[in-house]
Amino acid sequence: MSKKVKNIHDKKHLTRRTLREWGWGYVFIAPWIVGVCIFFLYAMIQSLQFAFHRVELSGGVILHPLENGIFENFVKVFTTDVNFPTTLANFGIGLVLQLPVIIAFSLIIALLLNSKIRCRGLFRLIFFLPVIIATGPVMNQMTAQGVASVPMVSQNAMLGMLEGLPQFIYEPINNLFSSLILILWNSGIQILIFLAGLQKVPRAMYEAATIDGASGWETFWKITLPSVKSLILLNSIYTVVTLATGGSNEIIELIYSATYTATQGYSYAMAMSWIYTAVVAVILVIVFLLLKEKSDRKVVYEQKRVDMKGV
Amino acid sequence: MAAIGGTRVNPKKFHKNQIPFYLYLVPIAIFMGMPIVYIINHAFKPMDELFAFPPRFFVQHPSLINFQNLFQAAGSSSIPFSRYVFNSLVVTVAVVVLSVLISTMAAFALSKMKFRFKNPIFEINNLALMFVATAVTIPRYLTISQIGILDTYWAHILPQVAMPVCLFLIKQFVDGVPNSLIEAAQLEGAGSWKIYYKIILPLIKPAIATGAILVFQNVWNNIETSNLFTTSEGVKTLAFYMNTLSTAGSVQGQGMAAAASLIMFIPNLLLFVVMQSSVMNTMAHSGLK
Repeated sequence: MSKKVKNIHDKKHLTRRTLREWGWGYVFIAPWIVGVCIFFLYAMIQSLQFAFHRVELSGGVILHPLENGIFENFVKVFTTDVNFPTTLANFGIGLVLQLPVIIAFSLIIALLLNSKIRCRGLFRLIFFLPVIIATGPVMNQMTAQGVASVPMVSQNAMLGMLEGLPQFIYEPINNLFSSLILILWNSGIQILIFLAGLQKVPRAMYEAATIDGASGWETFWKITLPSVKSLILLNSIYTVVTLATGGSNEIIELIYSATYTATQGYSYAMAMSWIYTAVVAVILVIVFLLLKEKSDRKVVYEQKRVDMKGV
Repeated sequence: MAAIGGTRVNPKKFHKNQIPFYLYLVPIAIFMGMPIVYIINHAFKPMDELFAFPPRFFVQHPSLINFQNLFQAAGSSSIPFSRYVFNSLVVTVAVVVLSVLISTMAAFALSKMKFRFKNPIFEINNLALMFVATAVTIPRYLTISQIGILDTYWAHILPQVAMPVCLFLIKQFVDGVPNSLIEAAQLEGAGSWKIYYKIILPLIKPAIATGAILVFQNVWNNIETSNLFTTSEGVKTLAFYMNTLSTAGSVQGQGMAAAASLIMFIPNLLLFVVMQSSVMNTMAHSGLK
């Protein structure tokens, strides 16, 4: 099946062959589509609908139209809520600060774990362990008892230096340091993904570079980094998503408490969560645009040739 | 550097080149290992140490009192303990198998096949990825009661099967499988199913393992579905039960919570040990780019 033939078919009309190919695609994606439609899409549409109404939950759901304009709930979030806008802003700044730390840390650890040392398996296990426990109640206990912050003199020195800064910069940086260990504990998956990528870089490339006299620093920039670049994007998106939807997140807690209190109503919580989703989406788009791979065909082409040889 | 170990993954002998790596790795590993040391120590702390201020990291006089309390409480409830374990196992295994199957199939289709509405479908997945789960709990409850699976195992399984993060991760790995491999298989006359399980699945094993671990720990520790979608005790999961025991409000609750979290954690650990040894080392030899 050559590509040229297929393209001609695509352009002209739906031939039997393209239809058959499409059919297989739909077969493979069908279970997923069904699941998402029922448990995500439908639920999301409903929650959007709730956000534009006043909801009465008594046995069933009764929707009442809003009295003060259709965006009443959304306006209320920004005008009457004391906590939400500031929490949201803090979350955004905190995210932007944490992201590079996590990415850099996990890349460094992955590089170290990819080098030839003894007990690699053991180290890998240790670095992934926090991920396994992170969802449990243990993490909360540890944070509550203050085990997760860095009790270092240097931290105090750092804070002394930062004291002159305005509050809205000072606070996120302070948070970053006080939850540093927690951040590192959250980077297990990212380490694993980087490691998977690094192991696929052909060893012959490094050997060739060493023969040509490249230093370790140069090999890192010219070989290692380009080959894990797509994984940096993947990891960044993954990090943003987990930080944004993870359990220990103040905004989620706000939304959660608003969902189950009668004072502000369910639809108000829905409006909050849609605003939050929009903010996260904007952050993700920015991350994507910053890290998007420019078409670097040469590298891809060369790697493919190496792959073919390997196979 | 490559001369030290050849193709072997781990060098056999200790070499002094390795020292700098250890200098970095060991201290960080100690930091990273702290939660597990803590979780084990905490479970064996007697009452006076649990509430000691300032809290101690290591246990001074280890005792089994927390486990005794836990099993006593479990023995006195109307539903046998084994029932919760069985429920959790059924739900977790079903969700892991189903979601890996569905995600890999969808990832294969989205990455390597041509069909209309491919991009919108992936965009929907990305939207679902970002959406706050709390916001959809009530609509989900309504859906589940409409389908009529409230208070059954399906109420645990179905809402958790679609994991957008899992699909996203796996798709990125399928993207890395060279098209030439698939074209070659097509030339040899392999159909879509054959390509799926003979080429795609073996090549993305590391992604499958990562996804499976993620799904597993999400489901195993999940108390929301038991909380929201079930009412009878007979179909609730172990995580939920452990949570009710430890948040009962008694002074013993704290100790039982510590013991319970150790028990809940052991399957996670076992799974990861099995996964990582069988998967991580095969990756170096796959045809992935």
